[in-house]
Amino acid sequence: MAVGVFSWFLLALVVVGTHAATLTLQSPRITISSSDASQLRSEPLSLAHKPSPPLSLGPSDVLKLTFQVVDKDDGKGVQPHQTFLRFFDEKTGEEGIQPVKVTPGGKAKFELNMARPPSSLPPSATDPLKVSLYIGSFVHPPVQYELFDLVVPPSQPPAQHPEEVHFHVRPEIQHTFRPDQKLPPKVISAFFTLLLAAPWVVLLGLWAHVRPQVPYLFSPSILPFVASLAVFEALLVQYWVALRLGQVLFYAAILAIPTALTGQRALAALGERRLGKSSK
Amino acid sequence: MTIFHRQRSQGMRFLRGLLLPLVALAGFAFARSSTGDSVLVLLDPSLDRDNFSIFFGDLEKQGYKLTFRSPKEAEPQIIKDDVAQFAHVIVFAPDTKSYAADITPQSLVSLLNKNTNLLLALSTKQTPITSLAAEFSLILPPPGTPLISHFPERDTPATIIPVEPPRAQSLVSSNLAPIWFSGVPQALGNNPMLVPFLKAPPQSFASDGDSDSGSDALVEAAEKGGEGLWAGSQLSLVTGFQTLKNARATWVGGIDMFTDEFFNKEVSKGKQSGNRQFARDVTAWTFQESNVLRIDTVEHHRVNETLPRETYTINDRVTYTAYISKFNPELDLWEPYSNIKDMQLEFTMLDPHIRTALPPVPGEPGKYSVTFRVPDRHGVFKFVVDYKRKGSTYLESTTVVPVVPPRHDEYPRFLSAAWPYYAGAISTSAAFVIFVALWLGGDEREPKKGKGAKAE
Repeated sequence: MAVGVFSWFLLALVVVGTHAATLTLQSPRITISSSDASQLRSEPLSLAHKPSPPLSLGPSDVLKLTFQVVDKDDGKGVQPHQTFLRFFDEKTGEEGIQPVKVTPGGKAKFELNMARPPSSLPPSATDPLKVSLYIGSFVHPPVQYELFDLVVPPSQPPAQHPEEVHFHVRPEIQHTFRPDQKLPPKVISAFFTLLLAAPWVVLLGLWAHVRPQVPYLFSPSILPFVASLAVFEALLVQYWVALRLGQVLFYAAILAIPTALTGQRALAALGERRLGKSSK
Repeated sequence: MTIFHRQRSQGMRFLRGLLLPLVALAGFAFARSSTGDSVLVLLDPSLDRDNFSIFFGDLEKQGYKLTFRSPKEAEPQIIKDDVAQFAHVIVFAPDTKSYAADITPQSLVSLLNKNTNLLLALSTKQTPITSLAAEFSLILPPPGTPLISHFPERDTPATIIPVEPPRAQSLVSSNLAPIWFSGVPQALGNNPMLVPFLKAPPQSFASDGDSDSGSDALVEAAEKGGEGLWAGSQLSLVTGFQTLKNARATWVGGIDMFTDEFFNKEVSKGKQSGNRQFARDVTAWTFQESNVLRIDTVEHHRVNETLPRETYTINDRVTYTAYISKFNPELDLWEPYSNIKDMQLEFTMLDPHIRTALPPVPGEPGKYSVTFRVPDRHGVFKFVVDYKRKGSTYLESTTVVPVVPPRHDEYPRFLSAAWPYYAGAISTSAAFVIFVALWLGGDEREPKKGKGAKAE
């Protein structure tokens, strides 16, 4: 856009040669005063280059800009159709246009009171606003001047549409998970496990003395029952590790039949054995 | 259902793979809209159709079927039996104050709800269309105030303005010549659904003045209590609006920019204006040729699985995948599209619990995927993709999944803290079997003897 504006400007300058009655500014001057009317800065403006350092306004300062629009040839004051000040923030693209009142004699005075900023002043951040002056007329060729850079106190950001947030990348949200359950040190678990296993040490120690004999264990009437009980235990371990309740009940129901039968046989054999022994 | 979709989309991809070379062979395929080719042109009788011959000719060359109708004629209707009869409607009747019964601001809005696109021209006159513009967050200057600019110095009236086309905007071709414009500017509300195509030059303003004595009126208008000043580059001259249902309405500040006269008018010696290409770009966007996206399908599954689950358990690691296509108007088909870099996925129960980037998967066109850990809160969650950017189709997708706590048998097993309990249970079970073996298999007399023998 800026390039385009510039090229038009050049074009305008070229055309000016053929046309008469170019407009120019006479004695442009800026004055900055604070709220208690003390003058902070007052200087004539050069149209060729911007004043340095950039003008800076406090929250209650007043900027005054005065100039006269004159015909370059005869020096008479002119009232053009368009005498606009443009405040432009290059970074945010915010722009404000403020018409300046020009008397029929071409005299213009513009006051910017930061205590009561005009609605045309765009929402500003920390970057300076570029202030340019556009003078357009139905009779005279248009001219534009880059007047100065203006630093104003940052304002409230412009109001946002409630839907606006959906049109941008939104901040990431991470879920805060509950901390993992803490486990006691394995040493302690191991210690108590060993403590629980201790009775076995005692039992095995005593058995070492007693040397229990199991002469009938492998007899066909006893072993199937003991084996089926062992299988039951194995099923329960499997239940804990992998199986569902329904599966366990199904397998247990199947297993219960041989267990009951072998159990009956085992007990019968035991009874027979005892009776036989007592009768001997 | 998702699986079915997936298969279908794979089928389509396969089909597309077959068709693509065929279509390419056809070579000069026309640009087509993603929503249809039929266009109704509501052209005011006072406007001569021949004045727009290039504009309408270009549209017909693109493959659009134009039907012309005067705004006051009753046929053909734009909506019949609650069905939109045309895919796109051009309303070139900026000065018409009364329309046939079927054309009202309400019926135009209901067209948008039926995914019909609109191209509407404004003028300095107050018409039903200008009052509709306010509903699109466009604030028009008072009737009778066209945009004028004294810059640059030129031989045309101040109301016929060469406007620099926007730079660095994806919707309009780059390196366009300045565009001739004559009409009303629109101040834009802060509605994010607005897509400005052409901004006014910073030196321009709306004014009814025709001599330098009007300058005081400008100052007064800008003062407090005045009617306001429409000035500067914040104004838009051609503005698009995309509704939540992805229909597009474009407002043009003046109809003259589509005339043959402006198309052929030189902006500088020997350099034609950019109007023709700009009109093509604007219609391409408005008629949903350009920047049209869609979500083909979405998938979700646990890591190391391929099928979606009915429910997910808290703390599961879940992969969410979306397949996105973009409409290619030259080939008239949807192509996988991987160039969205800033899409986000939300995992929401009332509020988003997780919002994370949904990046494209490198090497797999059109696929966007992310893996995350499901929050440790159970409830009914939603995977939400809500991707809205100015100028392109809004992408929205919501998939509901319940998140449940672990089942009784899904908790961790073999915890070190429970070793003592395991030991106790196992030792009891083992002791029982050993006891039974001893009791059944042992001989009750002999131990006594053994004991006695040992005691001796």
